[in-house]
Amino acid sequence: MAQEQTQHNLRTLTVDEKIVANIDNGILVLDDSLCIHHYNKWLELHTGKKEKDLLTLKISDVFANINTKTLTRKIKTALRIQTPTFYTANTSKYLIPIKLNQIKNAKFEYMQQDVSIIPFDLEKSLVALIITDQTNMAQTNALLHSHIEEIKELNQELIKERDTIDKKILYIRLNLQAEISDISHALLNLLEYEKEELLGLDFFNFERHLMSATLKEKIKEALKKKEPTNFEERTLSLSGEVLYFQSTFVAEFNAKGVQIGFIIFRENITNAKILAKTQEKMLASSRSAAMGEMIAMIAHQWRQPLSLINTVIATMKVKRELNLLTKEITDNSYEKIQNTVKYLSETIDDFRDYFKPNKEISRVELNTLFEKSIFFIKSEMDVHSIKYSLKASESVEIETYKNELLQTIINIMKNSIDAFEESDEREKKICVTLERLSTHVSIEIVDNAGGIKKDIITKVFEPYFSTKSKNGTGLGLYMSQTIITEHLLGSITLTSENNQTKVLIELPYKIRSQK
Amino acid sequence: MYSLTEDEKDVLQELMNVAYGNATAVVADMLDAFASLSIPNIQVLPTHELLATFESMKAESYFFSTQAFSGEFNGESAFFINDISAQNLAKHLELETADDLDDAILELTNVLTSSLTTKLSQELDTEVSFSLPSITKVPLQDIQEVETFQNYSQVIVIDTDLNFEDQKINGKIFILTKDASIQWLKNKLNTILELLL
Repeated sequence: MAQEQTQHNLRTLTVDEKIVANIDNGILVLDDSLCIHHYNKWLELHTGKKEKDLLTLKISDVFANINTKTLTRKIKTALRIQTPTFYTANTSKYLIPIKLNQIKNAKFEYMQQDVSIIPFDLEKSLVALIITDQTNMAQTNALLHSHIEEIKELNQELIKERDTIDKKILYIRLNLQAEISDISHALLNLLEYEKEELLGLDFFNFERHLMSATLKEKIKEALKKKEPTNFEERTLSLSGEVLYFQSTFVAEFNAKGVQIGFIIFRENITNAKILAKTQEKMLASSRSAAMGEMIAMIAHQWRQPLSLINTVIATMKVKRELNLLTKEITDNSYEKIQNTVKYLSETIDDFRDYFKPNKEISRVELNTLFEKSIFFIKSEMDVHSIKYSLKASESVEIETYKNELLQTIINIMKNSIDAFEESDEREKKICVTLERLSTHVSIEIVDNAGGIKKDIITKVFEPYFSTKSKNGTGLGLYMSQTIITEHLLGSITLTSENNQTKVLIELPYKIRSQK
Repeated sequence: MYSLTEDEKDVLQELMNVAYGNATAVVADMLDAFASLSIPNIQVLPTHELLATFESMKAESYFFSTQAFSGEFNGESAFFINDISAQNLAKHLELETADDLDDAILELTNVLTSSLTTKLSQELDTEVSFSLPSITKVPLQDIQEVETFQNYSQVIVIDTDLNFEDQKINGKIFILTKDASIQWLKNKLNTILELLL
């Protein structure tokens, strides 16, 4: 019996009390009117209050933060359904305020608690509240939550960025088999296809690619070597519009550095291409106009030497009929004719040379260049009694495309000559001034042929603008401007005042080859 | 995968009706108001059909709370309550903060599931213990990804309406069980069936 009693004590009373005293949980026994019936050691230690001072007090009087209504409801429910009810740290934070002083849990001022309300004694309406410290869990949750928020934000940004790229950048993604795996909407809009129509297709046979076999080989070679490659592509949109792209081909790798495919970035150069083609057409058109002018110039140049030959032959004929034709006269005449024919031939060569665009940059002495241009148009200037003068303090040399510059100068001077046709100016003059400046050279061509009206001066560089009633293509100054700014990398401006028109050309000392 | 026969389903529904009647009284008590619970619509479904049920619920925003229970008969119960119902509950309990509302929903979950499950286990002559419930407010499309759902094979679905004087609270209770529990349940249900015959 005694042994049984001891065993009983050991098994229930002593052990239970010790555990209740030492367990790392708060244990609180309350009745349904919230009066305290037990307050374990853990609670004493954590709250600094003694059980003996608290017994029979209402828990809500001891801790003012406790919501009486909620706690009463939970206790009554637990007793009613005979299963536990709960407070969770996630939603209720804590029941018993316990100040924290741990460095690692700096986020919370009070211990976060899970509370289970267990029916303890139904007759006496007692429940036991088991309080578990969940601060670490809550801390982890809070940390996780803030990280998730951060990741969400980053993800949002990423999505936004991807969206922008998709809408603005032209690109195609290929897998390792060169099948299309993705294509941006910006590009789809141009091609007028739906994404699904192109996904999975072989890049080299897709769209309506106008890709040469050589280019395909070049790209395939680059694919193998995984080298970034640049190339120009031409393709048709669904509706048949020709599109030109400047494309860059690069290998794509995943985060682990393993190649997963390729990306082709495209730049739409269709407009530039069309512009270039239009310019080419204009250039051709202005060339044929220039050809006509050149023939006129040659005719002018040839008139005088041809009449010279004619005169020599006529003189010989007369002298022979009068038997006055000596060997000396004959030799002399032959020599004259020979020289003149040589001169005619040289004129042709000169014109032909001038007409050929240069492929290479050469050193150009501007004084000489002007002499040459005057040679071509001298006869026309003489017809209109135009005086020409050149002012240059010293020799001015630049490195540029010689014939382009020569054509431009002749074109501008021809404009001046044409203007004099409708001018009553007595002292007709074209004055050229060459000047060496620190960064560039300036060429000033001034005529006094009446100037240009203010309302049209802004239009003179526009294509197909002409004041000439006939023979004007309207491309002369437009082409001159194109040549000066795009090929010779200089600038050209035109001003007019006091009956004078001034064309100012500024050119760099040296340009690099771009052809 | 285990599934229930028509007879087994019938018995289970009968048991659930009894258990649910018990829960009604407790909820009325807890909410300290006259409340009636409508006759529940109880179904037993395989989990994949449950996921299809979620599809039809996607239009609304739900609070979603879960509570695990252990014992011979074990599993997890899930309680869905839509936004409007949650607001009605908050009004009735004169709650002030969102945390208070969460707490009240958890309490309702706890009361409904523990009284249901306790009564059911009593009928099945066994005991269960309950873990702390937890709550999330999740977009329903994410629930399909919740792995815990994939772990269960059979679901007991109880569609219920709590009616107060002027407010209506609609909630759905799902009792999710695994194959082992279903086998145990089948045995128990068959014992009851034999007794009835």
